[in-house]
Amino acid sequence: MKPDIPATAPATHAPPSTATILLVDDEPVSRLSMAARLKRMGLRVLEASNGKDGLEILRRERPDLTILDWIIPEMDGPTVCEQVRLDPDILSSQIILMTSHDQPEQIAEGLARGADDFLSKSASKQEILARVQSGLRAASLLQSIERTRDQLREKQEQLEAELRSAAKYMQSLLPVAGEIAPGIQMSWTYRPSLALGGDLFHCTQWSDQSILFYMLDASGHGVAPALRAASLSTFLRPDNLRHYMTTCNPADMLAEANHQYPLTEDGSYFTIWVGCYDCRTRLLSYSTAGHGGALIQRRIGTVEWLTHAHLPLGFEPDSTYESVTIEIEPGDRVLLMSDGIYEAPAATGEIWGPQRLTAALETHRTSPLGTVLPSLMAEAERWHGAPIFPDDAALLGLEFRS
Amino acid sequence: MQIKERPIPNAVILELNGDLTYAHRDLFKASVEAVRQKGCRHLILNMAEVRFVDSSGLGLLALVSQNFKLNQGKVSMLRPQSYVREILGLANIPKLIPVFDNEQDAVNGKAQAA
Repeated sequence: MKPDIPATAPATHAPPSTATILLVDDEPVSRLSMAARLKRMGLRVLEASNGKDGLEILRRERPDLTILDWIIPEMDGPTVCEQVRLDPDILSSQIILMTSHDQPEQIAEGLARGADDFLSKSASKQEILARVQSGLRAASLLQSIERTRDQLREKQEQLEAELRSAAKYMQSLLPVAGEIAPGIQMSWTYRPSLALGGDLFHCTQWSDQSILFYMLDASGHGVAPALRAASLSTFLRPDNLRHYMTTCNPADMLAEANHQYPLTEDGSYFTIWVGCYDCRTRLLSYSTAGHGGALIQRRIGTVEWLTHAHLPLGFEPDSTYESVTIEIEPGDRVLLMSDGIYEAPAATGEIWGPQRLTAALETHRTSPLGTVLPSLMAEAERWHGAPIFPDDAALLGLEFRS
Repeated sequence: MQIKERPIPNAVILELNGDLTYAHRDLFKASVEAVRQKGCRHLILNMAEVRFVDSSGLGLLALVSQNFKLNQGKVSMLRPQSYVREILGLANIPKLIPVFDNEQDAVNGKAQAA
C-alpha cells in the first residue's frame, strides 16, 4: 500500500515574489510605463502588443496574471478573455481587463466575457498595486487548488488500480465451474456491488468421497469486508480445517470460525452456510450461521429452504451450531446465495424476496443449471431496474446426478 | 432514516423510522451512543416504522446489545414489522435482544412476545 498524499507546503495566500505578469497593450508608452511599475514590484513581466500574440504567450508561458487592454489589434481584450475561458488548459488564468472607458455597462460586459477584474487606465499607482496583488493572490489560490486536484486524481488512479488488483485476487479465490466430483456439476454467478465484494463461496473436495461447499457474506461494503472474507475463505480450506477436526463436519467448522472471527468494533461480521456432501451415502450435512440463502430444488421441482434460525458468526463467543442432514436424490439441485439477490429492491423499495425467487426457480426448473443461475440474476435485475444491486449478489448451484 | 429519542421512566426509547441499513449506520450509532452517554441502562428500539434491516443493520443491533451488556445494561425491541421480524429471527437476534409487542412489557422485561 502506498503512503497517503505526500505532505505539501502549507498554502500561502501571499503572491509569489517571482510571479510572472503578461502585459498586453498596443500603446508602447503606456505599456512601458506599466511594465516598469510592475518590475519595480519585483515581478517578471512579459509583453505583447496585440491580442493574438498575447493569447499565444499566455498559452506558452502560463503567466500568473494577465493585464489586458480592451482595445488592441488582431483580437480585442474581451475576445481574448473568451478564448481563454474556452481552453481547458488555461481557463483558470487570472485576467485584469484595462480600459480608459470605465463605464458600469462596459465593466459588466468585460466581466461577463471572462475578465476577473477591471482596471481603469487612469488608476492611481496604489490602485494598480492593490489590484495586481489581489489578482496574484487569487492566482496563487487557484494554482494551489489545481495542484491538490491533480494529486487527488493521481491518488485516485493509484487506489483504483490497487482495487482492480485486489478484485482480481478475490476472483482467483472463486471455484472453477464444471464437474467438481463424479456426477456433481457446479455453476455460479456473482455480481459485486463495488469493485470489491464481501461475498465468497467455494466448492472443493474434502476427500475422495466428500465435498465441502459454502457461501459466506461479510457484512458491509468495500475493502475491509473483502479482506475479512478472503481471510475466512483461507480458514475454510480443507488443509487448514484439518488442524481443528478430522471429519467434514459443518457445525464444528462454524463453532471454530465463530471463535476466530468475533464481531468487529464497528459491528462487522459474517453470515455463512456450510455443507458437506458424502458421495457414498448421498447424505448432505449442513450448518448455518445466520445465512438465509440456501435451498434444495428436488428433481420433481419442489423447493425446500435449507435454513434455520441461528446467530451469525461472532455475535456470541460460545455459540454452538447444529448440523442438519438430508438425503440427496439424483437430479436434485442445491443453491446457495447471498441476500443481495433476493433483497434486491425495486424503485418503490419493495424487495424481490425469497418467494419471487422460488417462483422464478420453478419456472426455470427444466433449464440446465448453467443457464438457471444467470436467469435468476437477470430476473432480480429486472425487478431492481439496474444492473448493479446495492449489495453483492452471488449464486452457487450444485446439481447431483445419478 | 429518522431517529427520535423519547425518555420514559427507567428506559429510553429510540423511535426508528426508515431502513436500518449500511447507509444509515452512522446516524444509528450516533443516536445510540448519545443515549448511552447519558447513562441509560435500558434502551428500547421501537422498530414499528422500520421497513427493512440489512446485514449491516443486524451487525449494529448485535454490537449495541454487546456494548450495553458490558455496562450491565440491556436492549429491547418493540413491534418489528413482519418481514423485519423474519430477518431478525433468521439471525436469531431475539436471542440477544428480546422483542416485545407493547411498551409496558418492554419496560418490565416480561412476557417476551417473539
